[in-house]
Amino acid sequence: MTLLALGCLLQQEAGRLLDFSPTTTKFLILSSILFIIGVGGVLARRNIIVIFMSIELILNAVNINFIAFARHWQAVGRLGEHTGELFAIFVITVAAAEAAVGLGIVVSLYRNRETVAVDEIDLLKW
Amino acid sequence: MILHGAEAWFFWALALLALVGGLFTVLSRSAVHSAIWLMTTLISTAGLFLVMRAEFVMGVQILVYVGGVMVLFLFVIMLVNVSEERLDRARLFSRQWLLAVVFAGLLAVIFSYVIRLADPYSSLQPARAGAAAEAAPAYNPQGATPVSRNAEEVGWALYTRAALPFEIASVLLLVAIIGSVLLARTPRQERLAEREEDGA
Repeated sequence: MTLLALGCLLQQEAGRLLDFSPTTTKFLILSSILFIIGVGGVLARRNIIVIFMSIELILNAVNINFIAFARHWQAVGRLGEHTGELFAIFVITVAAAEAAVGLGIVVSLYRNRETVAVDEIDLLKW
Repeated sequence: MILHGAEAWFFWALALLALVGGLFTVLSRSAVHSAIWLMTTLISTAGLFLVMRAEFVMGVQILVYVGGVMVLFLFVIMLVNVSEERLDRARLFSRQWLLAVVFAGLLAVIFSYVIRLADPYSSLQPARAGAAAEAAPAYNPQGATPVSRNAEEVGWALYTRAALPFEIASVLLLVAIIGSVLLARTPRQERLAEREEDGA
């Protein structure tokens, strides 16, 4: 009985996976994979500039999500729905500000410590 | 939302490109290569925005991210000497593999659960599956007007409903400009500024 239920579930899953028409869910899956790649980069990389780029990747994944939901609501029938796009614009603005300040910090850090490896930057004052 | 025909093909091509770009952003040895791969991801994301009829956000993405932020990144990469990494003398990753894998795995589990919960075709939501399947064909892939009014509508929403966040964003950008100028001064420039303050 359990096996039968499991088989049904597996068949359903396979059917959903083989359905290649892009729905909102496909956009969410894409965005979550990009998000996870970005988190992996932030946690595993050593070069602080690449870590910044991974953060940009994360923000970009979130933007895909926002736009996908805006489009979803428009497709469902709320034609004037632009809240997701507004959020995406603000995310892009904040990302630009963050990149400017962060890269300023990187430049002054490199000037003082001659390194961009995060595991060598471990002092607040020296 | 279900995309049909050419839009579906564009979705799969751009999604694949975005994923490959993101993967190589994290994995490539040279930081310049990382930046180029990140540009690939950002441009294919802009294409996805176009597929989703968000033309204005696509333009903003190209102008701000690809034209502004990534150029800034490339400048900083070239200011900061990272040739050691490229020449195979330095480690590429910090010793945090276990942590990274655990956190990425946890995120994957959470995301897959939440997405399955939200998916109208999911077995976790049997009651609403029929309704969603009925609602899907109502979407008209041909678009209502030949010229998109997306920019006008987004601008209208930005200046009415989101007027206060808009102003706050402008203040944030001003703070970021001043902050990055102050942070990136050389010691000589700092001394010069202090001397001028003392003189005045």
